[in-house]
Amino acid sequence: MYSNEVTKQEKKPLWRFGTKEVVYAAIGAALYAVVTWAFNVWQIPGAGNVGIRPAVVIPMFFGIAFGPIVGFITGFVGNILADLISGYGFWIWWDLGNGIMGLLPGLFSVLIIDFKAGRSILFAEISVVLGVLLGMGLAAISEMWVSGADMNTVIFANFLPAFLTNIAWGLVLLPLLMVAYSAIVTQSGR
Amino acid sequence: MLVAWNYRYRNSLIDRIDPRARFIFSFAVLLAATSTWNPLLLAIIFIISILWYASAKLSWQETKRGWLMISILLFTMIVVNTIITGGGAGGVVPEGGQLVWPAGFNLFGRHVTFGLTVERLWFAVAQLMRILSISLVFIMIPYTMDSRAYGVTFRKLGLPDRLAYTMELSFRFIPTLARNFQVTLDAQRARGFELDSVKGGVFNKIKRIAPLIIPVTMNAIVSSEDIANAMDLRGFGQRKRTWLYELKFHWWDYVVIGFAVVLLAVVLYLAYGRGMRLFEVPQWWYGLFK
Repeated sequence: MYSNEVTKQEKKPLWRFGTKEVVYAAIGAALYAVVTWAFNVWQIPGAGNVGIRPAVVIPMFFGIAFGPIVGFITGFVGNILADLISGYGFWIWWDLGNGIMGLLPGLFSVLIIDFKAGRSILFAEISVVLGVLLGMGLAAISEMWVSGADMNTVIFANFLPAFLTNIAWGLVLLPLLMVAYSAIVTQSGR
Repeated sequence: MLVAWNYRYRNSLIDRIDPRARFIFSFAVLLAATSTWNPLLLAIIFIISILWYASAKLSWQETKRGWLMISILLFTMIVVNTIITGGGAGGVVPEGGQLVWPAGFNLFGRHVTFGLTVERLWFAVAQLMRILSISLVFIMIPYTMDSRAYGVTFRKLGLPDRLAYTMELSFRFIPTLARNFQVTLDAQRARGFELDSVKGGVFNKIKRIAPLIIPVTMNAIVSSEDIANAMDLRGFGQRKRTWLYELKFHWWDYVVIGFAVVLLAVVLYLAYGRGMRLFEVPQWWYGLFK
């Protein structure tokens, strides 16, 4: 009980990047890479540069739990690492898009005090929609500049497959992770 | 579950070039290739990229997975969108043009009219050269760069110390987390967890991943607390970091960087200063369809 009260009174600094954040970001990025790599067999046929990734919830959750910098690094570095261990190369515009999927929920982290409260979960779900919209939107639009694709291709081959699958994973799995994390917060007094 | 890095020393030309010079070169090619649709400039960039890729001595066996992904991308963008539907050429290729088959053709005994133009076909070639140029220089990075060098490379390229260290640290966590992932997967399977089951709707299938993702993530977070405490006790972040893996420029690295800068500057000058930015079809290409 005491630990919960302490958590509720704490004011979260949004842009802090101390030792703990360095470790959370590194762990988050490595975790994102490992889970993405493990699920890499599920590719969406006919969609350019897009795979089915349950792991996208990891940058979103690390953003919500530890702030925008941790969320961004988890997505950005995690995607670089996932591509490196999968042998897919280095695609900076998709790495940035993944970073934004963690950064946007991170901006909402100040509004989240009790991780299992309905209000916090609602904010988290809104942040998922905005993060995926902006992150995948930016990555998909960059294909216009890189590959010379037109808007139709960008929307139907790049944006929609990534947006719809990522949003589904995020909306379902993020609340579950938040409730599980709330138990850890209560137990350890974080 | 074993994570294997794709890098190995191949005694190639690329192995001798400093990773910073390689990144600068790769980004110069990316910017140059995306600045123009001119056939001559794209062909030159494409040839340079092929030579760069060849100097890494990579085998097909090693890189086939990456190329498969790029093939899917190329097929969607070029074959489906540019050649078949014509949508992919919108905005770059002007409307109208010379038809490849003005009178149509016979397919399985039926007369077919297909609106593919010579201009759109050339655009497909230009798109192929552009995407392949970029892919050639970027796909080789995981195979040619030692994973120990990423942190120090990005630090020396100007990234803050803590950010570069985060990158370095995440490389070291990967084997441990991969092992934890496998242990959790085995434990859940022993309890009857069916990851591959096709039963249930979309949301049920998504929720089925939860018993795997939640314990792996929570375990990782709990263990990171101890690591952060150990780092704090050792005074992490109090002074400028030194790196175990040192990078040193040689004269040939300056040559690579100089070449990359000159290539980019020339392409930008020709594209924006001499009007060679826009899409155009070489005359000899029309001759092939007379």
